[in-house]
Amino acid sequence: MKHITSAVEIQNIPSLLLLLVCLAIAHYSQPTDLQLLFAFEYVGKKYHNSASKANGIPSGGGGGGGIGVGGGSSQKTPLFETYSDWDREVKRTGASGWRVCSINEGYMISTCLPEYFVVPSSLADQDLKIFSHSFVGRRMPFWCWSHSNGSALVRTALIKDMLQQRKIDQRICNAITKSHPQRSDVYKSDLDKTLPNIQEIQAAFVKLKQLCVNEPFEETEEKWLSSLENTRWLEYVRAFLKHSAELVYMLESKRLSVVLQEEEGRDLSCIVASLVQVMLDPYFRTITGFQSLIQKEWVMAGYPFLDRCNHLKRSEKEAPVFLLFLDATWQLQEQCPAAFEFSETYLAVLHDSTRVALFGTFLFNSPHQRVQQSSEFAISKNIQLGDEKGLKFPSVWDWSLQFTAKDRTLFHNPFYIGKSMPCVQNGSVKSFKRTKKSYSSTLRGMPSSLKNGIISDQELLPRRNSLILKVKPDPPEQSDSQDRGAEQYFREWFSKPADLHGVILPLLSGMHIKLWKLCYFRWVPEAQIQRGGFITAFHKVSLLADEVDVLSRALRQPQGSPPEAPCPELVQSRVYFHAGGPHDAPGTPDFLSSSFPFSPVGNLCRRSISGTPLGKFLSGAKIWLSTETLANED
Amino acid sequence: MSLLRGLLGMELIGISVRLFLDFQEKPASLDSALILDVPLGVISRIEKMGGATSRGENSYGLDITCKDMRNLRFALKQEGHSRRDMFEILTRYAFPLAHSLPIFAFLNEEKFDVDGWMVYNPVEEYRRQGLPNHHWRITFINKCYELCDTYPALLVVPYRASDDDLRRVAAFRSRNRIPVLSWIHPENKTVIMRCSQPLVGMSGKRNKDDEKYLDVIRETNRQINKLTIYDARPNVNAVANKATGGGYESDDAYHNAELFFLDIHNIHVMRESLKKVKDIVYPNVEESHWLSSLESTHWLEHIKLVLTGAIQVADRVSSGKSSVVVHCSDGWDRTAQLTSLAMLMLDSYYRSIEGFEILVQKEWISFGHKFASRIGHGDKNHADADRSPIFLQFVDCVWQMSKQFPTAFEFNERFLIIILDHLYSCRFGTFLYNCESAREKQKVTERTVSLWSLINSNKDKFKNPFYTKEINRVLYPVASMRHLELWVNYYIRWNPRIKQQQPNPVEQRYMELLALRDEYIKRLEELQLANSPKLSDPSTSPSSPSQMMPHVQTHF
Repeated sequence: MKHITSAVEIQNIPSLLLLLVCLAIAHYSQPTDLQLLFAFEYVGKKYHNSASKANGIPSGGGGGGGIGVGGGSSQKTPLFETYSDWDREVKRTGASGWRVCSINEGYMISTCLPEYFVVPSSLADQDLKIFSHSFVGRRMPFWCWSHSNGSALVRTALIKDMLQQRKIDQRICNAITKSHPQRSDVYKSDLDKTLPNIQEIQAAFVKLKQLCVNEPFEETEEKWLSSLENTRWLEYVRAFLKHSAELVYMLESKRLSVVLQEEEGRDLSCIVASLVQVMLDPYFRTITGFQSLIQKEWVMAGYPFLDRCNHLKRSEKEAPVFLLFLDATWQLQEQCPAAFEFSETYLAVLHDSTRVALFGTFLFNSPHQRVQQSSEFAISKNIQLGDEKGLKFPSVWDWSLQFTAKDRTLFHNPFYIGKSMPCVQNGSVKSFKRTKKSYSSTLRGMPSSLKNGIISDQELLPRRNSLILKVKPDPPEQSDSQDRGAEQYFREWFSKPADLHGVILPLLSGMHIKLWKLCYFRWVPEAQIQRGGFITAFHKVSLLADEVDVLSRALRQPQGSPPEAPCPELVQSRVYFHAGGPHDAPGTPDFLSSSFPFSPVGNLCRRSISGTPLGKFLSGAKIWLSTETLANED
Repeated sequence: MSLLRGLLGMELIGISVRLFLDFQEKPASLDSALILDVPLGVISRIEKMGGATSRGENSYGLDITCKDMRNLRFALKQEGHSRRDMFEILTRYAFPLAHSLPIFAFLNEEKFDVDGWMVYNPVEEYRRQGLPNHHWRITFINKCYELCDTYPALLVVPYRASDDDLRRVAAFRSRNRIPVLSWIHPENKTVIMRCSQPLVGMSGKRNKDDEKYLDVIRETNRQINKLTIYDARPNVNAVANKATGGGYESDDAYHNAELFFLDIHNIHVMRESLKKVKDIVYPNVEESHWLSSLESTHWLEHIKLVLTGAIQVADRVSSGKSSVVVHCSDGWDRTAQLTSLAMLMLDSYYRSIEGFEILVQKEWISFGHKFASRIGHGDKNHADADRSPIFLQFVDCVWQMSKQFPTAFEFNERFLIIILDHLYSCRFGTFLYNCESAREKQKVTERTVSLWSLINSNKDKFKNPFYTKEINRVLYPVASMRHLELWVNYYIRWNPRIKQQQPNPVEQRYMELLALRDEYIKRLEELQLANSPKLSDPSTSPSSPSQMMPHVQTHF
């Protein structure tokens, strides 16, 4: 899908430069060695340039600035590279019985685990070190997230040591049980047995791509539906959503801790762990939260981006596991549009960014690989790293590297009912007041009244669909009635109006799982609805949301003061389309189409809707001549 | 089929039957029996299941098939003769025609603030289109339905065609349905004409008057020297129709016309296709192979062909600047679909609530779409080959367009669904009878209530909050399987296993924002009044919200 853009946009580049561009493409696209990737050259030059200036520490390597537009979303994305990020996450979720351990500092234990991770408090470092030898890749169980009822989500690789298997398994399970305030059992989910494997996912995606982009449009029309079904892509998306929803039931309703088991624990676990958290924790439905989730469950957990994105042309390991997760997230967003701070454009752009071999975020198979490769590169290029553990590659979360502030407003979902966004119920305006007790994004330690695993009454928030559940244990259910219990749980959830700041669950029947058209059709001209598609409703809501924003600012102005001439920075809106802006002409702007802001036809003249990051790279040929200008733009 | 077990009893209330039902597993929220109201008009078929000797649970009872894709099955107790009584009462009132009873609409005494019968006035509608003009005249030749008994009394024809010409043309068109004007382009003055097939027959008859008449139509447009004829049928069907005296306009006879076939199948094919849709959603939704099952019904494929045809008509008129004649066999099914959809694409007026009502009233009701035969109002012959979901298919096409253009229509999905509900219910006179002459004979407008009375006295409920009024914008939907969807909220709404997203979350959010904006504006005004007591008139206040926010628009 990427090559189409480049082909289109090349037409707009003076022919003299075309040769250079082609050479550059040949050189940088899919080189055979990791250090030949564009990112290395780019970062190398940045270090050299900055070394000649003062202090020598390049910017843009950290967590990035979120989207950096409008109220409150400019928080930094936690990268989970440090002890404190993990510690904060433990506290945020209110997990007790879990601690951050540092045994993997310097990657001494495992080269595919982060340096810091969270384990049951009852397991000592010494035990962990011994156990680690029995796990594939020495990937011992590590914590992902805790429900406010105390149930934890844990992921692990399989135990390869058959002799020790039982004993270690028992020890670990006991430890997880001990970390649960009610000493609940552990529910193990063997992902390899229940979900499609990465080869199947890859095969499905190849067929999907073939069908959506490569095959002639008219010829595929007649059998479109059955061909789409035959790709099995939607079936797989549904399988992951269904499995994750069942685990939500385990964590939330059954109050069991869940352990995700997978051979290496670096692919399917990433999807399932992330989806479960997106469904359960509204924090992960904000932009910062979602980015931190990707850091936590993908980047730091050792999802092999380098192999799966196939940056190095070793196609046998290629698989769009991350895209499958984005697709499943889109399905949730499609069904609960007001529950997500980000838009589908954001998800599509995130997918595109995995294909740009520039961002450190999506470049490596593990955090260890980044450190190792970049120190080698630094030595060979004579770069002084100082105290740094590796080169600071640009982070994808620093969206300003790719998009203007105006473009980034398209990442915001105008339907989102956020913390700061009031909503109307029964005709009266309410603000979502998120007190210290609220579930997400605030630090919450051990509830003071948590004694013997029982939360006393005053701790119970009288909130509908609250995540804080009554702790009085249910009458024990028979295991054979488990399916029925889950069904009952889903039925009850769907019978109530959804609480957008609580749990969200997907509808899972065949007709509810849809093709993500923006992502897969955006470069197909025949599939474009001119001045139509969902974006036209999005446009309409954006105007209204902007108007509401302006009004609420006016209301918050100190009384008696005259209405000030709005200062452009202050009035910078969270939405792309402004009520008073140039698009204010009644009606739908001409340039909107169902593919907006991506477009299969030349749109370079309109910089604000530049397509993929590739478009950005090609839009000014000077970038190819001196790469360091990239970061200085905007 | 639902979790319901037994029918405890029933009661006729007005036009509906109220059924008292018992649950197999009674939901905790329900204290007593469930009460279900089913409009009698919606019932297509009532059957007894099992006999006096039937054993086993749920083997004895009643099975009610409805016209709106619903199937109700009730188990009854064998004791007594309750089933026989219920069956007889239900049959009697659900199918009044067979029992010499009046259709319910004639018993309906509801009163509404507005009179829906006033919505459509043909003279006003043609005047809105700029008619008559020096090329087109309004004729009352059919005042007593003598020229054509299935056409409306008032017709628009070429100025240069005399009444005698019209009579001679009528002799050569199936059921005398001559080419008449449906719509004229406000700028380029090209027209959409509708009619039935020419009576060519096996011998290839020609008719000079018909040929001349089409030429007169062509000459009203000077931009292009060809007239375009769209025959909605597949080519083979058009040829086959010669055997029964019909046919199509041949090149030799009509030199200045181009003929295209649009490959839309007949009413029987559509009926069978919808039956298959029902099979995959009732009683269970085909889960494992949903998409290929859907494909095998061909329903969306038919939708695609109808939309594609309408797009061609609209494009020919708008971009091709050619006048267009549309027909099928009799010109009351596929022709109505094509002309009304093309008009919806071309003329934004029809995309408003009242405009759409006028469109239905004009292209469907007045031009003799045989609602009585296609739906079978009050008729017990459920297997009648004349029944077919042609109007439903049209409404489905409109829904597909509204999905692709969420801001282009003033009405929402509820509007389309309520129209379909009352297509069957017989509560209103709107869809009764096959043509205007029959309706006039029965004094339908005097003796029944119009559906538009109900809708127009409750308009807010049917408004699309995203509607952005745009004049002169032609809508070209993408008639591709990639975008067409099964209308789940209509076809599968009765299946209790399928959870609906009701109300539409996006729409709901928008309404919330609207309320919020109004609240803020109110508060702001209050604040300003409190702060500047001297300026009692808020409109003169320099900080009044209307001046601060010049872009604040009232959306309703």
